[in-house]
Amino acid sequence: MRQRITFIQEPEYSTDPKTIHVTKNEKISTLSAKNVIAAREDRITFGFEELPQELYRLLKGCHELHIRWVSEREYSTLGPMASFTKLPVERFSLSAATQYYTPLSSLKDGFQTYLENKICSRSNSMCLSRVQELDTAASLDIDYDTISHALTITAFWPPTQWDIDLQNTNPKERMEVGILSVVPPQEREELSLGGFLTVVGEDTKPSPTLFSFPARHHSLPQTFSTSFNSPTGLHPTLKLSISASEPPFPPDERSCSLHAHLTLPRALFPDKYQFSDPLYLASKNLSALHHITSPIDLEAPSYTLTTWGSTLLLALAPPTLGPSFTAEIPLHLRYLPPSHNSSTYLEFAYPTLFWACPEDEGTKFPINPFDRTNVGYDGLFGPRTMFYHLSPEASEGGRLVNGLEVPVLGLEASGWVEWGTGAVVAVGFAWVVWCLLVGWGGGYGGKKEEGRKKRE
Amino acid sequence: MAFFTSPLYVFTTAFLLRLTLLLYGLYQDAHSPLKYTDIDYQVFTSASLYISRGQSPYARETYRYTPLLAFLLLPTTWGPIWFSFGKILFAVGDLVAGFLIVRILRNQGMSQERALKYSSIWLLNPMVATISTRGSSEGLLGAMVVALLWAVLEKRIWLAGALLGLAVHFKIYPVVYGMSIIWWLDAQQLGQGVKNADTLMGKVKNFLNPARVQLTIVSLLTFMGLNITMYILYGYPFLQHTYLHHVTRIDHRHNFSPYNILLYLSSSQDAKSGIRFESLAFIPQLFLSAIAIPFMSSKKDLPATMLAQTFAFVTFNKVCTSQYFLWYTIFLPLYLPNSSLISNPRLGISVLAAWIGTQALWLHQGFALEFLGKSTFVPGLWVSSLLFFLTNVWILGIIVQDVGRNHSPIGQSIQKGESSKKIEKVVK
Repeated sequence: MRQRITFIQEPEYSTDPKTIHVTKNEKISTLSAKNVIAAREDRITFGFEELPQELYRLLKGCHELHIRWVSEREYSTLGPMASFTKLPVERFSLSAATQYYTPLSSLKDGFQTYLENKICSRSNSMCLSRVQELDTAASLDIDYDTISHALTITAFWPPTQWDIDLQNTNPKERMEVGILSVVPPQEREELSLGGFLTVVGEDTKPSPTLFSFPARHHSLPQTFSTSFNSPTGLHPTLKLSISASEPPFPPDERSCSLHAHLTLPRALFPDKYQFSDPLYLASKNLSALHHITSPIDLEAPSYTLTTWGSTLLLALAPPTLGPSFTAEIPLHLRYLPPSHNSSTYLEFAYPTLFWACPEDEGTKFPINPFDRTNVGYDGLFGPRTMFYHLSPEASEGGRLVNGLEVPVLGLEASGWVEWGTGAVVAVGFAWVVWCLLVGWGGGYGGKKEEGRKKRE
Repeated sequence: MAFFTSPLYVFTTAFLLRLTLLLYGLYQDAHSPLKYTDIDYQVFTSASLYISRGQSPYARETYRYTPLLAFLLLPTTWGPIWFSFGKILFAVGDLVAGFLIVRILRNQGMSQERALKYSSIWLLNPMVATISTRGSSEGLLGAMVVALLWAVLEKRIWLAGALLGLAVHFKIYPVVYGMSIIWWLDAQQLGQGVKNADTLMGKVKNFLNPARVQLTIVSLLTFMGLNITMYILYGYPFLQHTYLHHVTRIDHRHNFSPYNILLYLSSSQDAKSGIRFESLAFIPQLFLSAIAIPFMSSKKDLPATMLAQTFAFVTFNKVCTSQYFLWYTIFLPLYLPNSSLISNPRLGISVLAAWIGTQALWLHQGFALEFLGKSTFVPGLWVSSLLFFLTNVWILGIIVQDVGRNHSPIGQSIQKGESSKKIEKVVK
């Protein structure tokens, strides 16, 4: 097991190295520091043989597995973790083959309980308290692939005040702790960090460091919020209100385009054929549909589908005039199961909005220690694309979700439907049969007449 | 009115109506994000595009028609100017159908002016012209069905058989017409002497007259020939999307059918619970449209029987949208001249008001659901769909009673029709 624990600070909160206490012993080595205001990332890597039996067996059958979970709470970020702000309420796994999404508002019941019982030993209070800290985590990534033969769990916490008290009880297991500050970078697409690194169990004091690396994800000051045009009906239009239409670079310097990536539950779906007419797209400030999950049944009710939902990637068309603008994404609702109060409240995650800028100078990103891939949309772009993210602003309650009421059949009122329909159809049928018989009787006379005529 | 004295006036107006709508549609499509062209037309034409690239038309999602339709629209893939080819084809289908309606009425001995007036119910109907020029194929089907009726009345059995097979291959429901046509084609209609037979074998032998056998064989061969060809070309997806889909579909988005809310309710519940009336829905529908109406009415008045069959089929169907109304609208000019709806204007106006009124009620509820998001399923949509159903049943009752009561215009007109044909020939 290897651990890398990184605290990232705004320059004004930089921790004085004198306040970082490091001890080294044969059994227990420690690092502690009080009142550290920082964002935090824990990355723990397990060797294949260190895993519990069932996980080992599961992963043996996998080529690659990536799970992404993001909290639905609105939170702020710092440089290297820019990409962490998006795709809330999600557990996301993406590979070339399959993809699955489900809303998960908390890690508490499933994942944390599993870690407490299977990974921590009962007596290890530090392990248990570290698991509990996941309560406040903003995101969690789990990655496995056959090449590295290792399972990595990465958790991220938004900036807060920490009393650091870390212990390494096994000197063979590497525990690296960094307390770093964001430093103005030399190049625009780079990130620079300066501060102190300590390998707990090896070092006796923190050693100073300063490094820069190109970053795939960046934050922009621009913000966006989303809402539905009212009334939503059965064809809700998702409105994206974007604070600025200016790209991160002047167009002659680098061509960037603004995109929206949506992850939708199966109750709500886009109709890809709607996104083909240029006039229609322009009227919504959209420019093109780049990707959509396929196939999407355009007719079936929600409860007959087995798929989880869909994702779509749209290029937006920011108008050249005016600072802020709105774009509209037409969506459609399926029929949902009947409910007692004739409506069902549906929630889904905020979309992700970013400028995608292709990088053509042969840049590669393997040296970014905080790189994050397989977030759902990055695979739809070239490997050298940079993402400049707009920050989501939650409309209410600080949650990055959109909600809408879906009209459904009311169960109370529908008690009569079965018998009522049957009775009305029966009455209608009987009436037609009766009319036929009346007509037939009349017609019989006609036939007789004809018969008579023939005889004549 | 002088207007109806000349076919030239009526057909020119019908043509100009469609041309205007077609051009207006082109203008709206080019300038507005709201399209005049029907979504179905986009489905047909992109299926044609797939075929032109050597792929299956079923590569286009929601293409649920015979590949024949996509073949017919292949010219739409030749370039932007050709895109409206299908709409022109459908509109021409409308006009051909109107022309055949006039022919049928004239052969019944109706005056030209009257025939043109009644055929204008179809030819100058703005709903019919709009549906065709928006690119819906129902008008083409109407032309096929009227051509079938015309061929039968003209005793062109080969042609009738081929048209019946083609129409059933296209849309399934015309299969019910086969029943009434076969029953209608008795010795009397064929101008042969009525032979009385006492033995069962004799009766069967009498029944199986050459026209009936010919029609059955030709229509079956056409139907199966087309199906086998399409199956060889496109395999299982052809069967699935053209036919099986209609049996298994559960996409019950609100429509005019009385079963609509019941289908929503039952599809969302476990298979075990409930009485499941909806699984029996085909019984009243097929009993009326394929058995009772053809056998009790067709010998009296074939066109009105076909109207009643279509009306019963649509009214008792599990899915009913306004395009289906075109299926029976085409027969109205042939039924109305002898109907109590015309002879008793008060009844006619009440029927029309009830048909429009209950439909408007449903549309009002549907709008509140679809666009305002109000849960109007029950009672709103449910009650208005039942009221619309009862109105349709009332109309159907009037039609079948009229057919029974009236001394069949067509049945009677066999001699008249033939004599008028002879007169025409003489005139020519």
